[in-house]
Amino acid sequence: MISANKPTKAARYGMTIDVDRCNGCGACMVACAVENNVPPLPQANDRKGLTWIRVYKVDNGQRTAYVPVMCQHCGADTPCVSVCPQHAVDIDPATGIVGEMPQRCLGCRYCMAACPYHARYFNWWDPEWPQGMEKALNPGVTPRMRGVAEKCNFCHGRWHAAKQQAAANGQPDGPVSYTPACVEACPTGAIRFGDLNDTTDPVAQAAKTSGSFRLLETLGTEPKVYYQSKRDWVRAIASAPRPGLGKENSRG
Amino acid sequence: MNSTRRDLFIYAGGSAAGALLTPAPWRLITDTALWSENWPGIPSPPRGEIRTKFTNCSVCRAGCAVRARCVGDQPVQLAGVASHPLSHGALCPFGLTAHHLPYHPARLKQGSAEQALAAASAAGGRIAVLDLRPGRTASWTYRRAMAALNGLYVTADQPVAFDLHQAKTVLSLGVPLLDGWGTPGNVWAARPGFRLIQAEAIESRTAALADVWLPIQPGTEEALALAIGNAIQHGKADDERALSLANELTHNGPALVLDNSGSAAVMALNQLLGAAGHTMVARPEAPVPDSWQKAVLATGLAQIEDRSISVLLIDESAVDRYLPWHTIERKLVRDNPVVVTFASSRGGYARHARFALPTAVYPEFAEDIPTAIDSPAATFRISTPLAAPPPGMVNPAEFIATLADLPKSDALRERADAIHQAGRGTVFTPADGKTVAVKSLTAEVFWKSLSEAGCWIDEPGHGRAPQAEPRPYLPPSEPGSGGLPLVALLATPQAPPLISPLMTKLYQESNLRLAPNRVALNPSEARAARLEDGAHAFLETHLGKCGVEVSVDAAVPAGMVLVGTAPGILDVCGPAARAKVVAA
Repeated sequence: MISANKPTKAARYGMTIDVDRCNGCGACMVACAVENNVPPLPQANDRKGLTWIRVYKVDNGQRTAYVPVMCQHCGADTPCVSVCPQHAVDIDPATGIVGEMPQRCLGCRYCMAACPYHARYFNWWDPEWPQGMEKALNPGVTPRMRGVAEKCNFCHGRWHAAKQQAAANGQPDGPVSYTPACVEACPTGAIRFGDLNDTTDPVAQAAKTSGSFRLLETLGTEPKVYYQSKRDWVRAIASAPRPGLGKENSRG
Repeated sequence: MNSTRRDLFIYAGGSAAGALLTPAPWRLITDTALWSENWPGIPSPPRGEIRTKFTNCSVCRAGCAVRARCVGDQPVQLAGVASHPLSHGALCPFGLTAHHLPYHPARLKQGSAEQALAAASAAGGRIAVLDLRPGRTASWTYRRAMAALNGLYVTADQPVAFDLHQAKTVLSLGVPLLDGWGTPGNVWAARPGFRLIQAEAIESRTAALADVWLPIQPGTEEALALAIGNAIQHGKADDERALSLANELTHNGPALVLDNSGSAAVMALNQLLGAAGHTMVARPEAPVPDSWQKAVLATGLAQIEDRSISVLLIDESAVDRYLPWHTIERKLVRDNPVVVTFASSRGGYARHARFALPTAVYPEFAEDIPTAIDSPAATFRISTPLAAPPPGMVNPAEFIATLADLPKSDALRERADAIHQAGRGTVFTPADGKTVAVKSLTAEVFWKSLSEAGCWIDEPGHGRAPQAEPRPYLPPSEPGSGGLPLVALLATPQAPPLISPLMTKLYQESNLRLAPNRVALNPSEARAARLEDGAHAFLETHLGKCGVEVSVDAAVPAGMVLVGTAPGILDVCGPAARAKVVAA
């Protein structure tokens, strides 16, 4: 997962999500599942489902908003990294992406307990697709086995493909430009992705605007996913433990 | 020294405790994780050459352009085409996962076309075709076949199209404008240009992003349209809200009013606002060959005499709007009618039909997609197959053409030639992102462009004002009538008849959307009915009852029930119907 060679210039990939443009259609959720070979779980409920990105419906009693939440790719004191006894979670210094290695995962779920964003999911069942549908799996991503935790990795498979393409084009070092599946799928253009280290990147610029905020910013985990909204009450929910729910740790 | 049995135990226990202080057991635990990685049950993704193919999505009539990533001939991922002039790179969740449809466990796979053909041929009396997505080339085949058989061609279409790009104010009466009403990319491209007022009982996805959300009682949409019309005509209204809306619509035009049923009141209001012929036009269609003009015209279901149809053929392979079975059943003769449905699953009319014939699903067959509701100019697009259908699938158009003894022909090609002959418009090809005038292409090149998922768009200015048939306004029933305490709200948009198994992510694993077989109740209503989240229950209306699962959702107002759009539910429950939910 971690780049073998120290990059000449490291990227810090991040996202901006305009909550005021999200209509909660769920295209990002299914596009993510298609890209990353996340199986359908007809036996699961909202507590045991596998959704690397989940759109939460939140309200203030009067109006509603939809907030897509995935791994926030914490840049400091990353809780899941620090608790994993197997070193199955790490941060790639070349990209800033918090990665997960299912081969190392023991299934202890400490990372799930530690994640303040409830963005990690556990494979309660063997990955199964309806008969024949395994032919439609993405060949770029390996399905994970039962008993391991998993989460968003900013479509690391796409990053690898972009890196290979860059190397083939004679540019083996430095950040590459690519688009995660949820960003590509969002029909409203609410989700954008880019390099936060690149000051010319529109995403890096948007992350610094005044309406921009991050979830649970007071924890000091320095998430790389920035949200935007002009509505005060939407910005206020950023400090809630989990959008849309009063109780914590309701999943898994 | 004599060793006792006790010493042996002490030695063994000490060794075991000591071993725990070495890395060995911990390493074994790690290894168990590695062993589990190699379980044979984990499927292997396909291997092969990665290719890009293009098609147009035919899951709904929006017909968004699709770029398919294929491994060999197998599509593994679908995405939009960013440079497309209509769909602008957007796809809805149903379209994004549509390459899974061929593998749906509930897919209909068997049915005897020969027996159905023999029964339909042998039955006397009146024959009819029910087309749930009119405007296709297949629809013209049905119309020609019915002309040959002296039958009826029945549709339930809203015969208008709207131009959101020209509108400055849009009043939506419960229409899921931002969530599946039209072409998603086109609606979002037009969105910055208009102010959206959403009048709806519940805060839907569209209402959540509207400039103004106006909560109204379910079933009062048409009354509101009438009141606004009166306010515009007479400058006054009893309803202050209608007066305010009338002011806004007249002073911030061009304005459009949209509803789900194409009601007479809304059509009249659009006429008053000057939308007819400008931002609201009759649904345009691509040209057809002259020889096809001898087809029968479309008939509405309501215009057909009760108990008059002996043979009913239902094309359920493409559904834009499901008609409740009781409205169809009353048109059939009492004595042994022959109902043949062409369907991809058993969930719809196949439950009632004598013959249910399996059809290919998108993206397995070539079919054109009619003009979308948000396109004021006619379009012609072909859903190019990305995969081969399994054996035994029946093509409804071929079946009905055989029944009517129509000569065999390549109808899609004939229509493409007719469009080329008209010489109007442009064609966009997704592979190179170029748009060229039809005039500059030969018929062969034009056909090749269309076969490669090209999109023909007619020249603007061919829209005409819609011909609206006035229908009487029926006020909603009084609250509490018939011992059914709840008012039903239909969840929007209506789900396609077959959806990817992966949609469990939205319907079940996150509850982001209301599953088609579910109803949502306010917590107080659920408590009163002693129902919990996930409980099995019956939805009762004056038309009958249907088994459902229950979701408890505080966003549903008290006194209402939000119902999914599974055919079984739609058979017993229409918009604003009185309903009751009781435990199973």
